[in-house]
Amino acid sequence: MTQETKQPNSDSDEVPYGANAVRLSGWQWLWTLGFSLGLAWLLPVVWTEFEAFDPVPHYRMPYELSEDYWLYERWIGQLPPETIPVIGDSVVWGEYTAHNGTLSHFLSNTTGMPFANAGINGLYPLALWGLAEHHGGVLANRRVLLHCNLLWMSDPEADMQFDKEQTLNHPGLVPQFAPHVPCYRADADTRLSRALERRLEPLSWVRHLQQTYFGQKSLPEWTLADDGNHPPAYPNTYRLLPGVGGVRLSAEATSPDRGLASARHEPWSANQSGKVNMEWVTPESSRQWQAFRHLAERLQGRGNKLLVVVGPLNEHMMNEATRAKHQGFRTTVAAWLDNNRIRFVVPELLPSEEFADASHPLTKGYERLAKRLAVEPVFRTWLGQ
Amino acid sequence: MLFHTWTFLLYFIATIAGFWVLRPTRYWLHWILLSSVVFYGWWHPYYLLLVFYSTALDYFIVGWMELGPRLFRPGWRLGVSCASFVLAIIVGLVAPAGWGGLAVAVVFFAAVLAVGHWLRNRRVWLVVSIINNLSVLFFFKYAGFAIENLNTLLARLGSGQLPSAESLMPLGWEYVLPVGISFYTFQSMSYTFDFYRGAIAREPSFVRFAAFVTFFPQLVAGPIERAKNLLPQFARFPRIKWSDVTDGASLFLVGLFKKVALANYLGQYVDRVYGDVPSQGGAALALATFAFGWQIYFDFSGYTDMARGVARCMGFRLMLNFRNPYLAVSLADFWSRWHISLSTWFRDYVYIPLGGNRVGGLKLCRNLLITFVVSGLWHGAAWTFLIWGALHGLGLIANRGLEQTVWWHTRCPRLAKRFVVFGFVCFAWVFFRAESFGQAMGILQRIFTAGCSDPQMPLLLLLLVVSIWAYQFVYESPLRRWLEKPPVKVMLAVAMVLWMLMFAPRGAEPFIYFQF
Repeated sequence: MTQETKQPNSDSDEVPYGANAVRLSGWQWLWTLGFSLGLAWLLPVVWTEFEAFDPVPHYRMPYELSEDYWLYERWIGQLPPETIPVIGDSVVWGEYTAHNGTLSHFLSNTTGMPFANAGINGLYPLALWGLAEHHGGVLANRRVLLHCNLLWMSDPEADMQFDKEQTLNHPGLVPQFAPHVPCYRADADTRLSRALERRLEPLSWVRHLQQTYFGQKSLPEWTLADDGNHPPAYPNTYRLLPGVGGVRLSAEATSPDRGLASARHEPWSANQSGKVNMEWVTPESSRQWQAFRHLAERLQGRGNKLLVVVGPLNEHMMNEATRAKHQGFRTTVAAWLDNNRIRFVVPELLPSEEFADASHPLTKGYERLAKRLAVEPVFRTWLGQ
Repeated sequence: MLFHTWTFLLYFIATIAGFWVLRPTRYWLHWILLSSVVFYGWWHPYYLLLVFYSTALDYFIVGWMELGPRLFRPGWRLGVSCASFVLAIIVGLVAPAGWGGLAVAVVFFAAVLAVGHWLRNRRVWLVVSIINNLSVLFFFKYAGFAIENLNTLLARLGSGQLPSAESLMPLGWEYVLPVGISFYTFQSMSYTFDFYRGAIAREPSFVRFAAFVTFFPQLVAGPIERAKNLLPQFARFPRIKWSDVTDGASLFLVGLFKKVALANYLGQYVDRVYGDVPSQGGAALALATFAFGWQIYFDFSGYTDMARGVARCMGFRLMLNFRNPYLAVSLADFWSRWHISLSTWFRDYVYIPLGGNRVGGLKLCRNLLITFVVSGLWHGAAWTFLIWGALHGLGLIANRGLEQTVWWHTRCPRLAKRFVVFGFVCFAWVFFRAESFGQAMGILQRIFTAGCSDPQMPLLLLLLVVSIWAYQFVYESPLRRWLEKPPVKVMLAVAMVLWMLMFAPRGAEPFIYFQF
């Protein structure tokens, strides 16, 4: 300030470029973009050669990796053609059960055909549609079993009818711009980021690295992360790369929250008595039902042989009015599937003690459901048996 | 709208498209103005009122400076003055509840304008411009601070309290600091100053002048451009060369990397340490201060690089604002490398009018101290900024003294000088970053007394900063030609792109200098 130096940008002078040497010419930009894009697209491919991923029998996506859509795509992509993916939300994934206590596991056991648990925890029809649209391209020209969980239409809030902001699971899978989802509030930049991430593989691969190896953080954030204790310790301060470990990809870690030995694995009636009233939305106004229709059409449009399993919901906990509305909605669903030549099964209600809550069966319930499906003529025809 | 967001990318594509399509017409200038209005209004539409006021004021004042004596006869001047004053008083008196603050402001500004009309003197118009611009700046930036301190004083004297600045806002509008107010106010004022001094001609087109003040790349955080440099560039559609686009993209890439990969990372460490001072050791506080020095450099120079890059892609050249300041060998050298547009602004419009270097001894020290204290206050309304400025002023005085010793001037190695200057700058940053004077003193005390427990600064972060510092050393050495070799440049650019793609955290952190 005190040096009365010549103005750097007086009329006679060229304005100085900068204070570093990274001043690229057109050709150098082409090289830079070529290398960068090439590496960005090559790295995920090369990575699959280095990262061991041999799923155990009856594999399902680990809970911690529920938002790792790159891994999901990789896994679905390496399923043998004869394996039948079972697609759906936490009912298919098995919220209360171990990985060998889910619908796909019992279907495999009952029918002798290979079924794969392609459900993801925390999904709902709107997100399922996004998953199939953006990360389910490999779901084509094969048998696919799709579960329809009507619970999402049983309540205006679950159906995302309200304007009030909701914290959504899988926000990256919901429509970012159209159709408009009023309860999904994110600024334009976040929406654009999410829309790009699901279209560009390198970005979803980066998310995979973060989810799997960096505790769902970026590398810089990971080096700064504390251990959650007070006073905190910072275990990654002097590490430049994660050590061996992270989340197990090929198998699920035993969880105290799931499986026969879990305290959560008990009938709904153990914690709740009395019937509940559910408001239900109309099929015409339902966002989730509309999304489900898009999903089914998309899967069918890809040449899949689709079978939809509608429910079952836990009618034992519904009062009379709710049950009637449920059955009315279910009839509409069945009619639409029928009109669109999509095979479907509406299974019988399971016993009360085989439900953990309004929609999730317990292990016994899944086993019974699989056995009932296996004897359904539509199911057998679809399976080619 | 932040440069490092997807929203900006879309906005920029639309802006460039319109700019290009309109190039054969004279509306490309209107398009730039409209784009800048959208860019600035994105934060808060009511900010636009202030930037428009500041722009219109200086545009008309310079017009009155030049044309005033010819426009009005003495009788008319008196009439206009009286009418303005009476109108102002009427507005003030009949203002409904909630409009009191605005009415007072209108009365004040109209009265000042009326006096200016009456006296029709260039110097008076200059004073009118200064009073108006600084009043707006003072109200939004310093009123809260001033009222708080005055109320403390009044409370000690047992007197009544002044109303809060918030209560003076009309229509229940929120009292918030408009983004970049210090930048565009200073830019607009520099036009008036330069015209007054005869350095530039009056700009007849309001649209061109408004485009100059509000030009979106540099509107919210500089560089604070001079009319002499930027205004002529709006005279005709710029001749955009291919090299402008590649240079602009290069500048943007480096700026983006500085912000997204470095500043935000450093900021997280600094926030962690400065957010819990009592439980930190001396080494952690010292390293966090070191980290803050680099954080603010990467943050601000990153913004400037991006601003210059965006402007360059459109064929406009903004001034260089940072030149590797942490390689400075003296404080004077530091200020010729750090926030150059602001330091030259203060040099030209405060330091030199005070007498500059041409006076000797105590007056020189006074000039330096005043200039730096004002510069400190420009950054914000807090005692810590004032002390930061004063420290730099005193440091500069001491540095000048030191430069006059033979040992420092000829024997002390340049590297040692660089580290001394860097150390002093970091010491002053403590006051800049601290939330209060007490916290700053506490930090300084703990740095020397709280022991050397593990600072827990990520190794990766340290390696990044040291690598970039080393790069700067090489860049300013004879080895620079190695950095200018095409494979090295391409390799660095690819590394930056991949780093941002793979490791940058999601989400856009705002820039530190937006608060100024």
